[in-house]
Amino acid sequence: MNIYWLTAALACYALSATGFAMERAGLRGRLSQWASPLLGGGAALQTGDLFMRGIQAGNIPVTDFGQALVFLAWLTAIAGLVLIVRFHMPVIGVYVGPIVIVALGIGASTMSHARIVMPQSLRSAWLPVHVTFALLGYALFVLAAIVSLVYLVYERRLKTKRPLLPTDSRTPSLEKLDRINYRLLGWGFLMLSLAIVTGALWADATWGHFWSWDPAESWTLIIWFLYAGLLESRLAVGWRGRRAATLTIAVFTVLVGSFVGVSLLATGKHGGNFG
Amino acid sequence: MRETIFIFGVNHRETPVAVRERLAYPEGDIVAALARLKQAAPAINEVALISTCNRVEIMGVTEVSDRAHAEATAFLADDRSVDATAFATSLYRHEARAAVRHLFRVGASLDSMVVGEPQILGQLKNAYAQAAEAGTAGLVLHRAFHKAFSVAKRVRKATLIGHGSVSVSSAAVGLAGKIFDTLADKTVLLIGAGQMAELTARNLKRLGIQSLLITSRTFDNAVALARKLDGTAVPFDGFQPYLKLADIVIGSISAARPVIGPDEFEGVIRERRYRPVLLIDLGVPRNFDDQLNSMENVYLYDIDDLSAVVEESIGDREREAEKAESIVSLEVESFLKWLDGLELVPAIRDIRSSVEQLRELELERHRAWLMSLAPGERERIESLTRGLVNKLLHRILSGIRDGRADGADGVFAAEIARRLLSADLAAESGPSQDVAPNLLDDNALDYDFGEDDEF
Repeated sequence: MNIYWLTAALACYALSATGFAMERAGLRGRLSQWASPLLGGGAALQTGDLFMRGIQAGNIPVTDFGQALVFLAWLTAIAGLVLIVRFHMPVIGVYVGPIVIVALGIGASTMSHARIVMPQSLRSAWLPVHVTFALLGYALFVLAAIVSLVYLVYERRLKTKRPLLPTDSRTPSLEKLDRINYRLLGWGFLMLSLAIVTGALWADATWGHFWSWDPAESWTLIIWFLYAGLLESRLAVGWRGRRAATLTIAVFTVLVGSFVGVSLLATGKHGGNFG
Repeated sequence: MRETIFIFGVNHRETPVAVRERLAYPEGDIVAALARLKQAAPAINEVALISTCNRVEIMGVTEVSDRAHAEATAFLADDRSVDATAFATSLYRHEARAAVRHLFRVGASLDSMVVGEPQILGQLKNAYAQAAEAGTAGLVLHRAFHKAFSVAKRVRKATLIGHGSVSVSSAAVGLAGKIFDTLADKTVLLIGAGQMAELTARNLKRLGIQSLLITSRTFDNAVALARKLDGTAVPFDGFQPYLKLADIVIGSISAARPVIGPDEFEGVIRERRYRPVLLIDLGVPRNFDDQLNSMENVYLYDIDDLSAVVEESIGDREREAEKAESIVSLEVESFLKWLDGLELVPAIRDIRSSVEQLRELELERHRAWLMSLAPGERERIESLTRGLVNKLLHRILSGIRDGRADGADGVFAAEIARRLLSADLAAESGPSQDVAPNLLDDNALDYDFGEDDEF
């Protein structure tokens, strides 16, 4: 049953991405007009899927890597939609769609479809809070990386005076892209910090200690420091524009590596051993 | 006689400005001129006057287009005191489909000197408002203008015809918009107070620039321009400290060597904490060293780069104009269809009422028998006759409309149908049964068929 919801969501995302790409290429048609609603439709279908699996599990369904990816895809789609609509940036949609599709595709095909038996230690109100903060932080970092990529491509064209596309008249200015990147990083950093704090409090409540240096914890701390450094370089030294965008993408690749690596090695509490 | 829509006049393509300026009407005189024109040209039923710096056009509706043309040309020559021979040769004249197409193309800015420029639509709206005020716009012109506005809107929405910069100064301003989100909190430094710099600064001010610094070799020029543009003049010898304040620097002085080089600018960038800078170099020889462009968050455009932007957008607009032309073609056809339908309206109304009268007459003839029936049966017969009549009408009317679409003269067909049916009516109602019986043959056949049917 679940798989139908997710397949429909995937189809919506694929159509939405096509629509955004058409809009970008200057082909305005019905599909490009419906690109944003389709993105929202995909997210709504995913909401249905999460809701049903959540009821079944008795908590938010994020007990394995695949499920976490599906949840991340959902958050990225929603945050991306907000960004596209609120700041009139259809160009972001060209990248959001494919990334969401990849995350959802990998997640849905690797996650366990067996009836989830929630381990005792996870049956806690801390779980949704901790995981939502962590994955929302990641979703915002995904968007920051996308905005940075758009910035770099656009900046290169302006700098080399290569002819701009006619649709570039609708691309946000460099200043705006840079500011949005900064805001996304700031909010993402806040979410990540909250995820660490809530995780520590939860660990203390369950196991009696705040921190156990399991691989996910260590890597998260490293990533937290990297993003802190990124924000610091802007505030203190004034690094912005091209340099900030490049660094955002660099830190994001570390984030992707650690997320995938830690999850696949599957050790520690975040890897499925909840003892 | 049939009404046709016509448009004639002069524009920037065929007629030099020396002639256009003499024909052009001052804004305030147009309503009065329309009244004078209506008086001088009795052949014209409806009329509007479009007068801009690129065109003077008279658009109207007439039944005798040659007379209308002659009268209006004479009026124009007389009213503007211009010898008719001065403009007669470059006068263009469009009628019917061509006139509608011309109006729609003008409104969509396809006939403009700079394709896609937005002012023409406002000017056209003005011309329409004046014709409406003068009371010289009738049903056809009202509809034509409104359609022209909606075509223009559709073209703007569906194509990118108004996008891109088509002059060097607007290209410079366009670049500012690609780099900066808002100009309200930005500072502009003009190095050199020439005409091009002034034009660019004016454009930037219009988009919200508040803070404007001006320096020039001749300090008095800087002061004069600063007064004009509400800026601040700074001395040419000591403008370097102001560089770090400027988000946009426009250079336009003639100097053998660049006035800003990469070494001194390195410090400026650091002091600005890497906030982006747009350098616009309008000078030849160039005012800014071209190595500046490779510095972080510095964007340098010289006069050739800006010209390339302009050429690019003109090319883009021409490509978009092709899409716009096909939209215009579609809309012209839909308007003409409406206009054709309009011509058929009186005939169609007559045909309908003739047929309805026939039906009533026939019911009246059988009145006594009908009254003897039960009310339910009477109603059925009533609806039976109505159904029959409607089917017949539908065939006749759609035959006329289809014939029209295929290029046959629908008005003529409608007129024949109208006459046949009213003659029929006269024959039915009057005692003289033998009025044009031959004409009726075909119709009579249909009619008899109805009569033979068992009610």
